Amino acid sequence: MNRFVKLGTAALLTSALAALAIPAAQAGATLDRVMSTKTLTMSSDPEYPPQSFLNDNNEMDGFDVDVGKEIAKRLGAELEIVTPSWDIITGGNWGGRWDMSVGSMTPTKKRAEVLNFPAVYYYTPAAFAVYEDSKIDSLADLNGKTIGSCGGCTYDAYLMKNLEIDAEGAPPFSYEVTAGEIKTYETDTNAFDDLRLGDGTRLDAAFSALPTIQEAIKNGYPLKIVGKPAFYEPLSVATDKGDPEFDAKIAEIVAAMKADGTMKKLSEKWYGVDLTSLQ
Amino acid sequence: MLERARESRWFSRAVLFCVAAVVFTAFGLGGTAAGDLFAPLLGPRDLEAEAGFGRDLLVGLLLAGVFVANLEFIRLLLFRFQVLVVWAELLALFYIFVQSFDRNFGVIFEVGRSGVSNLSFLITTGAFTTIYVSLIAIVIACVLALLGALGKLSSNGAAYALATFYISFFRGTPLLLQVVLIYTGFAQLGFVLEAVPAGITALALCYGAYMAEIFRAGIEGVPGGQREAAAAMGLKPALIFRKIVFPQAMRLIVPPTGNQFIAMLKDSSLVSVVGVWELTKTAQVLGKRDFQVFEFLIAAAVIYWIMSVVFEVLQSRLEAYYGKGDRR
Repeated sequence: MNRFVKLGTAALLTSALAALAIPAAQAGATLDRVMSTKTLTMSSDPEYPPQSFLNDNNEMDGFDVDVGKEIAKRLGAELEIVTPSWDIITGGNWGGRWDMSVGSMTPTKKRAEVLNFPAVYYYTPAAFAVYEDSKIDSLADLNGKTIGSCGGCTYDAYLMKNLEIDAEGAPPFSYEVTAGEIKTYETDTNAFDDLRLGDGTRLDAAFSALPTIQEAIKNGYPLKIVGKPAFYEPLSVATDKGDPEFDAKIAEIVAAMKADGTMKKLSEKWYGVDLTSLQ
Repeated sequence: MLERARESRWFSRAVLFCVAAVVFTAFGLGGTAAGDLFAPLLGPRDLEAEAGFGRDLLVGLLLAGVFVANLEFIRLLLFRFQVLVVWAELLALFYIFVQSFDRNFGVIFEVGRSGVSNLSFLITTGAFTTIYVSLIAIVIACVLALLGALGKLSSNGAAYALATFYISFFRGTPLLLQVVLIYTGFAQLGFVLEAVPAGITALALCYGAYMAEIFRAGIEGVPGGQREAAAAMGLKPALIFRKIVFPQAMRLIVPPTGNQFIAMLKDSSLVSVVGVWELTKTAQVLGKRDFQVFEFLIAAAVIYWIMSVVFEVLQSRLEAYYGKGDRR
């Protein structure tokens, strides 16, 4: 039996050493990799219609996906999509597994410590939704209520009153709502599922992106929108740290897409309105 | 004696009937389709108003009667048919329960533009990934478990320490963290694992640690006399382990390992955090498309269940194979 033990120990040690011996990936080579392989890999959330979702042809589709496709096209590359969870994307250190995130991400100061935000591509109004027969009909009525949002996202940060948006041209806002209780979910659409159970059953309101709420209402969720948008958040393409050339290229392409009206067209296709510039 | 036994049986049945009647009445089912059965007696049901206690009570009595009659009927059957009938009845109740949510389950079978129905996408993408990730992981886990068990049984201090450290760490930390650590942690060292291999590695390491204890118990469960007898016949230690101890240990190892595998089928859903489209993730993605997550989660639950049943059958076959030495 001893021989087996020794064999086992040796095998374990060898595999541990092998894992350490693999050379580190070259940093700063994102653009080179994209240009040489002719593939641009983007991370996306498949559960976030209409920004990104699986369409009835079982392909990824949506506003963010269309923007990603257009960026890839202008780089002369094919777009590939991977779907790691939001925490993994915002954690940074992607290790070259994907090159960019076009995931309606707000460039906050905290996130900017681990990721780069080369280009803001549109602005989303953040709005409160309540059950359709709720008596709440202004932002002031929401004070003290139980409000649901996605955990760790900007809506959560707004409710906790520590939202810092770190992007040029981000419109100023004030905290108009003080939640009685904040309930957080993996994504904000899960909050809608709790809100649809009834007025006050689990939630009094949900806080999310206006287009996402409208999409839910379109799909038969018994919700309505309350008051004016609480804040507008700029949403940016995100990249991993370490390749300024790639960042510059992305910024240039997004600026060109805005200038020639492509971005406006895509926004109107998916949201019905132009959200690519501040009104 | 016989007379009294029969009496007490009727008595216990009457008690059961009364309890069932009270419970079913308390549910207040007079307003359901069952309440309509009493229209000839009480007149047609007023759809706007409450059903009323009378109707609730009649439905309660009816259901209690059906319940007790059903028990009597099952009692008359052979064991094997008792099992079949009770399973069928429980499945029917489960079906009614799910139907009562009043959701649009037709969406599961809908065919999209791609010409593929949602159900077959769920199976070919989701269930397929779940099965192959779990199968590869369980094979590696078995190897790790054997090494871990041998290490823990070893008289070599280094091997013992290595095995106990491994088992302690991977049993003592959540699988979700292990998945994330292996996926992002190793990437910091420049060892960039893709999502599927990272997930398989985490599952294998975690379950290998749990199963090491199962393997150790199995190996220790083989009576020492077996080893001594083999040694007395001049067999070498490695051969004794392979031909004498291990096959007998397998009999003890298979049932709990089958258990672990079925648990792993479902824990593999944690691998979705790194972007693997296994069954749960695929169900959520399809559900979010039309905002019908609940329907797809029910579909996924049923598919998981069917997969588990298949592996339960395989496990009992494997048990029969390794248990053949003990059969009389």
